[in-house]
Amino acid sequence: MERMIEVTGLVKKFGDFAAVDNVSFSVAKGEIFGLLGENGAGKTTTLRMLATMLRPTAGRAFLKGYDTQKEPEKVRAQIGILFGGETGLYDRLTVAENIAYFGELNGMSKAAIRERIRQLAQAFGMEDFINKRASRLSKGMKQKAAFARSIVHDPDIMLFDEPTSGLDVTAARDVHEFILRCKSEGKTIVFSSHSMSEVEKLCDRIGIIHRGKLVECGTVDELKKNTVTMIWKNYLSGWWVRNEAETCDDSTEKRDKGPDT
Amino acid sequence: MKLKHVMIVLKKEIKDLIRDKRTIISSIVLPMILIPVVNIVMGGGIQKFEKEINENVTVALSQSSNTAEARELVRDRILSKNPNIVLVDTDDPVKALENNEIRCIIELESSYAEKLKEGMPIHITLQYDESKTKSQAAADIVAWAVEEFSEEIIKERITSLGLDPAILQPVNIERVNVAPNEKGNNMMLEMMLPFMIAMLVAIGGIPAATDLVAGEKERNTFEPLLTTMPDRGSLLLGKYFAVTLFSFVSLIAILAGLFIGYMVNPNSLTIGVDAGLEGITLDPLALILALLITVALGMTFSGIQIALSTIAKSYKEAQTYMSFLILATMMPGYATMFIQATDLSPVMFTLPVMNTVAAFKMILGGRIDYFNLVLALVTSIVFVALTLAFAASLFKKEKVMFRN
Repeated sequence: MERMIEVTGLVKKFGDFAAVDNVSFSVAKGEIFGLLGENGAGKTTTLRMLATMLRPTAGRAFLKGYDTQKEPEKVRAQIGILFGGETGLYDRLTVAENIAYFGELNGMSKAAIRERIRQLAQAFGMEDFINKRASRLSKGMKQKAAFARSIVHDPDIMLFDEPTSGLDVTAARDVHEFILRCKSEGKTIVFSSHSMSEVEKLCDRIGIIHRGKLVECGTVDELKKNTVTMIWKNYLSGWWVRNEAETCDDSTEKRDKGPDT
Repeated sequence: MKLKHVMIVLKKEIKDLIRDKRTIISSIVLPMILIPVVNIVMGGGIQKFEKEINENVTVALSQSSNTAEARELVRDRILSKNPNIVLVDTDDPVKALENNEIRCIIELESSYAEKLKEGMPIHITLQYDESKTKSQAAADIVAWAVEEFSEEIIKERITSLGLDPAILQPVNIERVNVAPNEKGNNMMLEMMLPFMIAMLVAIGGIPAATDLVAGEKERNTFEPLLTTMPDRGSLLLGKYFAVTLFSFVSLIAILAGLFIGYMVNPNSLTIGVDAGLEGITLDPLALILALLITVALGMTFSGIQIALSTIAKSYKEAQTYMSFLILATMMPGYATMFIQATDLSPVMFTLPVMNTVAAFKMILGGRIDYFNLVLALVTSIVFVALTLAFAASLFKKEKVMFRN
């Protein structure tokens, strides 16, 4: 199967601190790959390196065969990205203008953008508010607009950075549906989350990232079968690494609310 | 870096900024209305006050010297050539001065009549209130009238001795103004206009710069933008040109406001000081050079503002940095503001803000020195390059871009 994403020995250091430490994985075409890890584990940094926003300290990443360091523009042309929390829309622009701006920046012609906006408005049920300014939209409407904007240039690869973070159940379900819709269109997806149930539900394969290291990688069944590490065991039981946490920093300890095992 | 990408970003930023009420109000509406209104109000106030000081200068004789003869002397001789000075009859001149009914008390010594007859010097005391500007000015006006009266007496006495009063003035002084014709009474304009142009161009882009980078970071629109095809240089330039454009839009708005103010009250341009635009001839080539220097100043400050906005983690933090920038801009502006066109040194043409103030002073003063103008332009271009390079380097720094 064609490998759309190939990551080898990726390292990102901020001073002496290694946010990502020798991470390697690959994602096949049409696959949803989940990066599972606690806050600060290195998921966002990894995705930022894939999106060429950050330059790796060491290692290499190829997206659709393009080197993130040598051909960043070509890499960016292949990706769509959706961040969690805020939708990142320009409030003073209409939904159509928001989508068109990203279409133009990604090299689409004006005619193609017009047609694509029409398609997306129909697909996401945005006809009623496509010409409304983003500031006047509800949270749900904004989310739909953000989905549409991320795929306006029909990218082959989608990166989702904790897309359900801070959302209510309905909004999170919409995000899940959008991810599955992208998969059904044959897009390759990397999805980061700290929710086990979420990655279990959506992902074909999962990589568990902890303190910058990819400690496990495989399908959900494989990981369940090979419960070889404490980290994975604890994930499954809904508890976060007691033994590890004892030696972690304060923030990690605060997150450790699980029962003793 | 692609021009196409720069243009896409620029077009979007202009559209976005035009729809931002905050930017439009602070960059265009407020300066366009506020500055001429302030100038008209201030100018009007100053003119009114000046008129009040010189008109209807009420004076009274002191109680001890308030006789019919003394009143006649003061009214018919001392103040006769000054119709703006009005002699008021009052029983209690001190109280009248306190109550602002009169502005000055004239006291003649008791033996003034005899001394005048005998050709002896007489003593006149002027009582006024130093804490009141009108009273202080009235004392000066009356003192001037007394001096005129004194000179008249001298002439009378000299003539009565059969001499020509001209012997009192052995040397005549004649002053000849050698200033170029175009240099009229524009001192105030030379002081105000260059300073305003430089300041407004330098700080006019602040609202736009704050919104376009720090604002984007705060609204979480910056990260998605960085994942689009264009490189950071193109994104930076698009934003940079938008900020530069807005600093000039702001300047044009203010100049339009000043023009409207000038049409309403010509003296509003110089805050009430009587100095019209008549007699000013602008050298076209020098003016073009000065405008290019101004454009370069705008670009230099756009670079600085974009850099500060990039460093800032939030909109508020950016505003704090910008307020320091305004202070830093004012210093060279004020340092050059009061210098006359004839006293400009070449060093002033090499520093931002100072160079623009100096260039316009030179033009308004009608004393063109092309070497200094070219020097200012060349150094300005260097500053544009330096500040843009600085902003570009920050746009590439991960630590700065992702401070959050």
